[in-house]
Amino acid sequence: MLDAAFLVRRQQPGLLLSALSYTGGLAFGLAVSAMLLVQAGVPASALVDEFLVAAFLTSDGLSQTVTAALPLILVGLASAVATRVRFWNIGVEGQLWLGAVAATWVALHEIGPESMRLPLAFVLAALAGSGWIAISLVLKQRWGVNEVISSLLLGSVAFLLVQHLLFGIWRDPANSFPVTAAFPPASRFSALGWGQLHAGLFVAALIALAVWFLLERTRAGFYADAVGLNRQAALATGLPVRRTLAGLVLLSGALSGLAGMVIVSGTEHRLNQAVGNGYLFSAIVIAYLARAKPFWVVVVALALGAVFTAGNVLKVFYGVSEGMIVLVQGTVLISILMAQFFSTYSLNRPS
Amino acid sequence: MTAAQKAIAGRAGSLPGTPPALDMQGVGKAFDGKPALEDAAFTLEWGEVHAIVGENGAGKSTLMNVATGVYAADSGHQAINGAAIAPRNPTEATAGGLGMVHQHFRLVESFTVAENVLLGLGKKSRVRSVSEAAALVMAKSAEIGLPVDPHRVIADLSIADRQRAEIVKVLLLGARILVLDEPTAVLTDEEARALLDFVRRLARQGNAVVLITHKFREVAAFCDRITIMRHGKTVLSGAQVEGISEEEVARLIVGETLATGGRPASRHGAVRLSIKALSLPARAHGQGLHALDLDLREAEVLGIAGVGGNGQEELVACLGGLQRPASGQIILGGRDILTATPQERRHAGLRVIPSDRFATGMIRELSIADNMALTSVSEGAFGGPLYLRRDRMRKRAETMIDAFDIRGATPERSAALLSGGNAQKVLLSRELDPGMKVLVAHSPSRGLDMKATHFVRTAIRQAVENGAACLLISEDLQEVLSLSHRVAVMNRGTIVGCRAADDVTPEWIGALLAGHA
Repeated sequence: MLDAAFLVRRQQPGLLLSALSYTGGLAFGLAVSAMLLVQAGVPASALVDEFLVAAFLTSDGLSQTVTAALPLILVGLASAVATRVRFWNIGVEGQLWLGAVAATWVALHEIGPESMRLPLAFVLAALAGSGWIAISLVLKQRWGVNEVISSLLLGSVAFLLVQHLLFGIWRDPANSFPVTAAFPPASRFSALGWGQLHAGLFVAALIALAVWFLLERTRAGFYADAVGLNRQAALATGLPVRRTLAGLVLLSGALSGLAGMVIVSGTEHRLNQAVGNGYLFSAIVIAYLARAKPFWVVVVALALGAVFTAGNVLKVFYGVSEGMIVLVQGTVLISILMAQFFSTYSLNRPS
Repeated sequence: MTAAQKAIAGRAGSLPGTPPALDMQGVGKAFDGKPALEDAAFTLEWGEVHAIVGENGAGKSTLMNVATGVYAADSGHQAINGAAIAPRNPTEATAGGLGMVHQHFRLVESFTVAENVLLGLGKKSRVRSVSEAAALVMAKSAEIGLPVDPHRVIADLSIADRQRAEIVKVLLLGARILVLDEPTAVLTDEEARALLDFVRRLARQGNAVVLITHKFREVAAFCDRITIMRHGKTVLSGAQVEGISEEEVARLIVGETLATGGRPASRHGAVRLSIKALSLPARAHGQGLHALDLDLREAEVLGIAGVGGNGQEELVACLGGLQRPASGQIILGGRDILTATPQERRHAGLRVIPSDRFATGMIRELSIADNMALTSVSEGAFGGPLYLRRDRMRKRAETMIDAFDIRGATPERSAALLSGGNAQKVLLSRELDPGMKVLVAHSPSRGLDMKATHFVRTAIRQAVENGAACLLISEDLQEVLSLSHRVAVMNRGTIVGCRAADDVTPEWIGALLAGHA
């Protein structure tokens, strides 16, 4: 009888139990997704092929998966870093747009010597992202304005700014769509000769390593955990609460900005109206599933990249609608979230 | 039956031979093996207002929580109006005729009074609509003479209004016996008088009221009988209020013997910490501080006794730097630290053991090693800013775990898994470091078993013998008396009296606690 049972928090979930419940959740999600896709007309025999083989086991598929994962890693880290200090950065997309705008400015206006274009775009994109989140940070620290609302709304402001530029001074006259002209080669990450994959891979990898080191190995990371878990205790024990919070929040903005730069300089090679779409949702999901741990952010981002790749294949070859792809993603994610719940709680009956 | 009891029974219309409204005998209850109630007894007659008094932690609220089914008793039995009952939850108790108004009201703030009543009545009631519930509220309100507007939203009501709404709700749910847990603590004097007048009327209409209180003047003016509890036992059961003196009540509350042994040897050194005219404005749910003065000397324990909620939390927060006082001075080592950050205070030698360990002292989710290192990481004890030497943190934690005999602890273990005693040891191991000059300890042995309590007190004693000054703020009088050289009493946000420990008498403390000095 369900009304006579109650949930008990497990003290320290064992490794095996966690692994089992996550695997179970994933399997359940994939099974339900498979049923949905079969209903939508994808032959059952093709499912394994498209999901596993297309996304990971073919050279083309794998390069696509990794390419898609690069900005996901960065926004996932952005969300994870802010989550560590319990600052809810719902403006990932806004900061990403600003980073993309900064990189585009360097590219279109050919700022500085050619060899410095990418490093300059890198620095400016990071600063633009930090600057955008700094508004929410100051509003919160000064006047207690809720960052969920302010950062979310600033995301819309950023998008409007991009539209303003795309329909205005940055519009490519040779193109009927509201997009900028293509970036000159000096502002593009060089291709690595494997599918679409580009040198942004090294940028993302180095940043992920640096963020991992910062959070897990340095004093600032230690402070971040203390501030995020119990701000009052951190204050009372004399930790630099405000500085830690500000530092990590600005880093979060910078990482989002860099994601914008990696997209425009790496794959799109121009600014358009679609480059930032959907990254807020992905960032939150990645950080949540990874429990704000940088290593797991990379793993989950790659998995999500694979889902995007498989989704594209299904769209192209089987005419599955975009909505169906989102539904599959949602099904898998919510199953894993349920598994996470059951690895922390056990269902008990009263004795 | 005494003459007075007969008089009460007569006034309430109950005759000799009527069973008591509530009868509890031999009630025992332990939390984690620590007894909170031992063989407690309580008898409530119809028609009376019966006071239960005692120190914090004496077991007053626990006894009534057992009666109303919040806790299940380990032993003993209870009867309402002669019928044995062991309510499993407050709903059963209320349906059985016994309802409690807690210090924190059980009202949904975004609902109206009538909606709250409807919610409380539940599925089994025949009342189905808000308007029916509102009619019930108005009828009850008129019947008992307690003005309540059924259509007001709780969030818009004053505390006194909410309390009246709660009382009407509890009565509508079927209670004829009303238990009020320190109902006047949140009221102004005028509101308190109105409430107590009502309570008396309600009892005279044939109901019965239990009043849990600290204040003797309320007992004397509004109650018929009094039961006094101390350390979970009933030390005075149902005596007539008429003819009992305040001194006697104070003596019974505090106890016959004031054990003062075991206080650390004192050298009467220089003043280490001086608080002058410290003031903090009162907030909605807190006591303020009013021109509070005190001096604390080297190698001295100054105990601050008092009933909880009289500004102790605020004093500790002001000392630790978590709250900014409006005015005054806090002089530590010759410097005014009133506006200093917690970190600066720490550098000046101040250490705080908060009453709620996991609110401001430790971080539950972090490991024991992390918690032990919290205060020393910034001083570079575990490497520079760019690389944290977790190996050194671990090693230090291992040393501490040995030195403080923290059984079953490993450096990596989450602090959340520590027992109360071991958590306190972790905190002490961090705070009692060589740089400590002034220790502010708030209820350091609250919730600990005897062995852990002994450990904590010995640790404080040793620190003071080594020259530290200790401000011991505790609601446990035994604790204050067993360690302190001087005892101060705190009431309504200020120090109302201070004496050398040898001159402390139960009457003196009792009078100051009751707010009569």
